[in-house]
Amino acid sequence: MITKYRAILRMKYVEMFSYQLSTMVWMFGTMIQPLITMMVWMNIYPDQGDSFILYFISLIMVERLTSAWDVWEMDRQIREGTFSYQIVRPFHPIHWAIAENIVYKGLFLVILVPSWIILSIFIPSLQLHLSFSQWGLFIAALLLGAIIRFAFSFMFGILGFWMTKVTAVYATFETVSLFISGRIAPFSLLPPLVKKISTFLPYRYMIGFPLEILTETADRQTLLVGFIGSSIWTVLLIVAIVWLWKAGLKKNQAVGG
Amino acid sequence: MRRYWRIFKEFFRTCLVEELEYRSEFIGNLFSSLFGIIVSILMVQIFFYQTDQLGGWAFPDVLILLGIFNTLQGLVDFALRPNMPRLLLHIRMGTLDYVLTKPVDSMFFVSLRHLVFWRLIDVLLGIGLIIYGLVQKHFIPSLLDVGFFLISIIAALLIIYSLWMLLMTTAFWVIRMDDLSFLFSSFFETTRFPITMYKGWLRLALTYVLPAAFLTFTPASSLIGKWNGGTTVASLVVAVVFFWLARRFWKFALANYTSASS
Amino acid sequence: MSIQVQDLNKSFRVHIRQEGWTEALRSLFKREYQTVHAVKDVSFSINTGEIVGFLGPNGAGKTTTIKMLAGLLHPTSGRIEVNGFKPQEQKNEYKKMMSLVMGQKSQLIWDIPPMETFLVNKSVYEIDEKVFRQTLDELVELLELSPLLGKPVRNLSLGQRMKCELAASLLHRPSILFLDEPTIGLDVDTQEKVRQFIAKYNREHKTTILLTSHYMGDVTALCERVLIINHGKLLYDGELQVLTERLTPYKLLEVRLPSGSHGRWESFGDVVSFEDGKLTLRVARDRVPTISSELLANFEINDLNIQDPPMEEVITLAFQEESHDY
Repeated sequence: MITKYRAILRMKYVEMFSYQLSTMVWMFGTMIQPLITMMVWMNIYPDQGDSFILYFISLIMVERLTSAWDVWEMDRQIREGTFSYQIVRPFHPIHWAIAENIVYKGLFLVILVPSWIILSIFIPSLQLHLSFSQWGLFIAALLLGAIIRFAFSFMFGILGFWMTKVTAVYATFETVSLFISGRIAPFSLLPPLVKKISTFLPYRYMIGFPLEILTETADRQTLLVGFIGSSIWTVLLIVAIVWLWKAGLKKNQAVGG
Repeated sequence: MRRYWRIFKEFFRTCLVEELEYRSEFIGNLFSSLFGIIVSILMVQIFFYQTDQLGGWAFPDVLILLGIFNTLQGLVDFALRPNMPRLLLHIRMGTLDYVLTKPVDSMFFVSLRHLVFWRLIDVLLGIGLIIYGLVQKHFIPSLLDVGFFLISIIAALLIIYSLWMLLMTTAFWVIRMDDLSFLFSSFFETTRFPITMYKGWLRLALTYVLPAAFLTFTPASSLIGKWNGGTTVASLVVAVVFFWLARRFWKFALANYTSASS
Repeated sequence: MSIQVQDLNKSFRVHIRQEGWTEALRSLFKREYQTVHAVKDVSFSINTGEIVGFLGPNGAGKTTTIKMLAGLLHPTSGRIEVNGFKPQEQKNEYKKMMSLVMGQKSQLIWDIPPMETFLVNKSVYEIDEKVFRQTLDELVELLELSPLLGKPVRNLSLGQRMKCELAASLLHRPSILFLDEPTIGLDVDTQEKVRQFIAKYNREHKTTILLTSHYMGDVTALCERVLIINHGKLLYDGELQVLTERLTPYKLLEVRLPSGSHGRWESFGDVVSFEDGKLTLRVARDRVPTISSELLANFEINDLNIQDPPMEEVITLAFQEESHDY
């Protein structure tokens, strides 16, 4: 298994280099909406400028490190008929998706972390002073968030066996995420109803929760709820994917690509 | 000029017939547009939950701006965005030559040939939002307001078209289309809120370098009675300049292409 | 070791698209379906090392059958056994033993050199390093791949890409190869090369090959045995030569005469064409020797050529037939 992963990781790494321009455009493009939102908030509460800067730059970081676009890949492959090749190989297609996610998140890490460090020289509010344990908690939450977000993306990809417009549905899903995972407003600034429902929906655990740890706005209760919620969602999603994949394969075998 | 209007009507008719073939898709698209505008309004409401003005603009004013934003975005998605991948395909497959031999201006043809009708729902919803904003504000624009509004909207449309064409022309050198489209969307996002919200160098950049200010802010200001003669004239001038740039760049790219194509 | 197919059936429920606004709205809630029988009661068996051609017009059921053999589709009823495996169970051991190539659908990763895909396949199919090198060298030589290995796949021509596809599919030395329209879209030269390669590979490795195609050239060059499928039914299973003789019991005589020649050609056989001194006659097979000698005796002949009828004619006739016992 490890040798197989090594081979696929290597291939995805090589492939990434032929998409340099495209990757850069996507990476920087997705930063614009958070930055605009940041400016709106700084306009509303000018005296809290520093904390907003920290919040939104952290948001960009966490969002990029959890991002997943597998649904578009799978949809394209199913439509073009090349997904058959994935099925016919003696290796589960999910590994390709996981490998691609690892490679690109690695790239984002390599670009964003040094950039952050450099930025923090000029913008003191970006200088983080987390303790060792806090970093540990952050990484754990980030990992769970990335898994949850990937799981949703892959799950929607599997739904492509049944639906033709699955990318549109996923886009809707992600749009809701804008509100609840903390991308339009820091959690504390959201209306109370929204706060309530966010505990049960997975969005907060994908981005909002790791974000709160990073910006040191997570108290004990938040940590507890956060980790329990993330773990439950992770388990639920893994089970869902296993089951959905079997069903999807059956559906594909009944109707074909 | 009349001829081009006639040709455009032909594009309009053909694409409409094509699209009506898929009526159940239309209903799905209707919901999608509705969802989109509702989300935009909700977003603004989340901000206004904490404040009562954004960059000096009150809630109804911001709604009017948002309505203009939605309308313009709808027009981009209706006429401009569908043509980008086709141009890329033409270049890649070498079928651009067919377009070039047609007795129609190539830039016109390449940018407006394919129209996606259901996006006009976005335009209608945007206009609806504008009207709603005006009603909330208990404000009826005067004839002068509307006049300035129309001028600045035309300027905005011209600027959008030119920026889009500049971007699309780079397809001759850059291979991947998705990114180009996304670049425009990212830039366009900056026009979602009043430009007065941005401070300092960013506001300057968004006014003088990439004229985002003229796209939604100037027309919206006109409509709510805050028009400025100088700014409106400036928007027209900028529009003409950018259009000239776009045209020159297109001609340059074509000259390059035809002399090198295999 | 072989392929056994028994009473294979495959039906699809297809959603009928409605016109009109009310129908479109209704279709959002309740859909109307129609059943399409893509494969009906098909049975055949194939031995190790055979190259068998599946012929049939578009929509005949060829690709559906191949997909069932590859395990991509579940039969509605019937049995398939390939080398002791049931393809629909999708066991890894089965996948390692077979390979699928679909014309115009690429398994090669688009923006990077084909060599990268080869390396991934090596790992995924768990091919030993030494075996991999040997196989790769052999395929590179046979298919003339060396100048292509380092170029990104998107920069290769269709023909070059197809050759790399074939190589990628054979790296793990499958004992069964499914080829679905492999030469579609290729230029004549490359088609020829691909056919030669497949024939040679089959000779040397005794790989069982199942091939679907529109091109007669593929079938005549590679397949001694053909299965003709139309409307989901198996119309003919046997040697191509036998089929030709049964369905088209005639040959074409092409005679080159000096200009100005004339005669009552109809008395010798059906005149297919006569222009510019070239006479084409359709003559019953058993009468070919007699007619030929008569022509040679009575006319000044520049050239005489005896041809089998064009395969298209044979196949079109075959498609029109209902199931026969040949």
